[in-house]
Amino acid sequence: MLVAIVLLALEPFFAPYIKIDVTIVSAALLFAIAAMSANLLLGYTGLPPFGNAAFFGLGAYGCGLSLKYLNVHFITATLFGMLAALLGALIVAPFLVRRRGIYFGLLSIAFGQVFYFIAYRFTSVTGGEDGMSVPRPYLVFSSFTLKETAFYYLSLVVFVISLLAFKLIVQSPFGRTLVAIRQNELRVRYLGLDSNRFVFVAILISAGFAGLSGALSAMLNGFIAPLSLDWHQSGDFVLATILGGSGTVWGPLIGSLIYEIGRDIISTITPYWQIFLGALFVACVLGFPRGILGTILARVGAAPLSNEPEEANWTQSPAIAADHRG
Amino acid sequence: MLEHAGPQIFNGLVLGAFYAIVAIGLSLIMNLTGTINMAHGSFMTLAGYLAFTMIARGTNFWFAFVAAPIIAVLVAVIVERTLIRPLYGRDPVYSLLLTFGLSLIAEEVFHVIWGANTLPFAPPASLSGTLALGFMNFPVYRLFIVVVLVLAFAALALFLYYTRFGLRLRAAVQDTEMIAALGTNTQLLYTINFGLGILLAGIAGVLAVGLLGLNPTTGNTLLMPAFVTVIIGGMGSLYGSIVGGILIGLATSLMTLYVPAASEVVIYVLMAIVLTIRPRGLFGEEGLFG
Amino acid sequence: MSGPTFNRRTFVKGAGYGAAALAVGVPAFIPRLGEAADAIKIGVLEPYTGTYAFPGENETIGIQMAIDAWNKRGGVLGRQIEIVKEDEQSKPDVAAQKARKLVNQDKCVALIGTVSSGSSLSVQAASHDMNVLFFASGGHTDDVTGSKCTWNTFRTCHSTWMEAHATAYTLAKQFGKRFYFITPDYAYGHALQTAFDDVIKQIGGTTVGTDLTPLGTTDFSSVLTKVTPAKPDVLVVLVQGDDYTNCMKQADSFGLLKKFPVGGPQVELEPLYGLAPEARTGYWGIEWSYSSDVCLGKGNNAAHQFVKDYFAHYLNTQKKPPTARQCFGYVSMDRMLAGMAAAKTTDSAKVARAIEGEKFQSIFADGGYYRKEDHQLMWPMWVAKIRPNGTPSDPNDLFDVVAKHDAASIEQSVAEKAKICKITYPS
Repeated sequence: MLVAIVLLALEPFFAPYIKIDVTIVSAALLFAIAAMSANLLLGYTGLPPFGNAAFFGLGAYGCGLSLKYLNVHFITATLFGMLAALLGALIVAPFLVRRRGIYFGLLSIAFGQVFYFIAYRFTSVTGGEDGMSVPRPYLVFSSFTLKETAFYYLSLVVFVISLLAFKLIVQSPFGRTLVAIRQNELRVRYLGLDSNRFVFVAILISAGFAGLSGALSAMLNGFIAPLSLDWHQSGDFVLATILGGSGTVWGPLIGSLIYEIGRDIISTITPYWQIFLGALFVACVLGFPRGILGTILARVGAAPLSNEPEEANWTQSPAIAADHRG
Repeated sequence: MLEHAGPQIFNGLVLGAFYAIVAIGLSLIMNLTGTINMAHGSFMTLAGYLAFTMIARGTNFWFAFVAAPIIAVLVAVIVERTLIRPLYGRDPVYSLLLTFGLSLIAEEVFHVIWGANTLPFAPPASLSGTLALGFMNFPVYRLFIVVVLVLAFAALALFLYYTRFGLRLRAAVQDTEMIAALGTNTQLLYTINFGLGILLAGIAGVLAVGLLGLNPTTGNTLLMPAFVTVIIGGMGSLYGSIVGGILIGLATSLMTLYVPAASEVVIYVLMAIVLTIRPRGLFGEEGLFG
Repeated sequence: MSGPTFNRRTFVKGAGYGAAALAVGVPAFIPRLGEAADAIKIGVLEPYTGTYAFPGENETIGIQMAIDAWNKRGGVLGRQIEIVKEDEQSKPDVAAQKARKLVNQDKCVALIGTVSSGSSLSVQAASHDMNVLFFASGGHTDDVTGSKCTWNTFRTCHSTWMEAHATAYTLAKQFGKRFYFITPDYAYGHALQTAFDDVIKQIGGTTVGTDLTPLGTTDFSSVLTKVTPAKPDVLVVLVQGDDYTNCMKQADSFGLLKKFPVGGPQVELEPLYGLAPEARTGYWGIEWSYSSDVCLGKGNNAAHQFVKDYFAHYLNTQKKPPTARQCFGYVSMDRMLAGMAAAKTTDSAKVARAIEGEKFQSIFADGGYYRKEDHQLMWPMWVAKIRPNGTPSDPNDLFDVVAKHDAASIEQSVAEKAKICKITYPS
């Protein structure tokens, strides 16, 4: 863990030599936080979250709007963003908890798209497809705007905190229950636990992470546009998670680094970068469904708590299925 | 307001018919193997491009209309054998992600081969023009789409219910293990099923480029409404896809009349409602996806 | 248990970081092609994938042509000019990130490009934050030289306001004052609608119907069936890009194009080539045309030479003549370099001051200047009638130019702009 932090901390100094711009790595770190949010639901709870971009976007717009109209400190603005994401989650979670598997995924797409259309339509609030510009944050005691490197360290710090929080959550009894739900929900219920309530909280936590990522990304890019709420963006988060290894703590980071940095590098070399990205997805799904980290861990024998390629969900117990069917 | 509703209802029905063709293809693929084909739109676009190239080289529309989907099916069979087969039996999320990756590749390949710009594709003269229907003038081409849908569905029904192969297909949807035990080559079955779904996609694709511009992303814009159709109509039911399509078509058209701002988002709202209240859809089967 | 677990964990982590380090190290070996030591680097941000790839490629060609011309004359300040291209994918967040990368990592002294409005605005914000010059060659939203104007950004293509005004007057004169609008239901459409409403008020026209088509509308049938009963004098289509192609195609299938005159604030050759000739009709605002002296200027050698050069070098590969996008790219790059030459530096603030207000002649008629108050290029805009099949000698020549409007008559006055835009330079 320390090695990783040190490596990342020294990145700005490497940057000119390895030609990876600091901004891109910042973006990758923030992307990783959003990927973690997807990981919590997909890798640990077993629910594919294809609507998390909506929470990401709520976080971004919440932060931007509070900076614009309330003139608050950027930390407060970030909290506003997370609050907006949580509120959004509170609205949709009661519906989402009632479904599992691919129904959960599809429902999350539906809700995500509704938020997307709202962001597009309400030009007066969100700026519509022109987007909204978001000022870069000011440091606490001084008044100069955070330059690239400073913002990078900010992202790094936030990322490390998020990672620690994530680790704490998944290794706590709460987190273990989520994994148990994924592996055998019926048994969890038999043990007297209300699995729906756990899923509900998991959705909220996931939204919090996504909102955090959104708020900071908005400040990094200085901009937020409705495209960030589209289900393709949600799909990107899920993809980064799977690429790195869903169900592992470090997986999302690895997946995000590969995705963001890879996309940046390849798109500079060729306009046909999308072919490589698509090929990467295909190769990943076929070749290492456990993700890169997951596959390495499995080979070494230290397979993490929850990371087997999923059996088709229709082997799930009839009782649970009956509950979540129409 | 009500006197305007007539033409809108008619519009909606025709639009719904179109969505239904796409949805049926998706549904076929989903039912048997649980594969969620996010590349369905790419196959549609492929057929459209193939038809365009054929017509540009001098063949007539009808030949292209038949040939392009068939070539698309050939591509599909290769894709199915190499890329999709390993995913059978796994969580549908994987097929979703894999086919999503395929659609990214496809979009760029189209860009490389045919260029980024929209290509001019017009229906043949025999299908152009409008038909005076009393309360409105209606494009002949759209009526053609309805005719194609009816024929396609009739052909599909015939195939499924009156041929031995269709019988096996229906049996496999119900119980794959049993039919494998009885000696059917299930792998072949899956491939043919996929091919059938793509055949419909190809037909829909050629039809689509008569309505819309032909560019690398044409098919993808139709993908989401098609998925919503399958969900609302019910996964596992082909009849449901038709009803679902018509519902969506009507919803979109009527919304344009009364609440235009909502006419595109209404399908997602419907999808959310169906998934919340009755996830298997109107005519779907229980337990298909747990 | 600590022994083996410890080894496994460290191995795993080591492997993970090794992989990451490899991924990080590989790019060092990918050279940036053709980097000359002392060249001036300009960052080009265009979409090379997605819906706007074609206009993006076209703008880049214009930019390249300007650079080639300057380099042949010895470059600027004795240095050659190079461009560094990045694909912004029409995604505002990617555009902002790439903008920062171009400046911080690739050491570009200025930025140029963008097609979509969202990307224009996000690059404007990012470049302003970095105090770097940015020429928004192809994003039309009013805000770039309106409420969001900044000292470092100059906009070449016409604003939405200009587009609407240029066409509205011509359409009213030609066909009458009852308008029916098909408007995209987002920021761009609303802005156009507001601008049109302004003209309609001035000329005493009426809007007999407005249909807002939300994002993602591929099927316009519901909207098109409402047009006939409303009996307008002219159908105004505000949708752009792919939506324009779909709408016109379907309007043709409903027989509307034969029944009603149709027009709109802006059309480009790119989407028109995507329509079959039956659907190519109407009166539209255009921002440049390679074939008409009304656009190029009679006797304007620079303009005619530009078109000739394009035909000589690019027609074989592109297969299509130059569009307004080549013009945007060329003019933007040309004026930026001229500004650097005049200011004798690449310092953004000094170059900006050298550019603003300076009248110049270029590859269009009458010359123009970037207005000091908002950095909008004030140049004429034209209205053209579409020739479905071009001319006998050139089937790609679709624009039959019928009117020219000079900039002052179609853009908001300095006084009106001052209400929303105030340019301040850094001290």
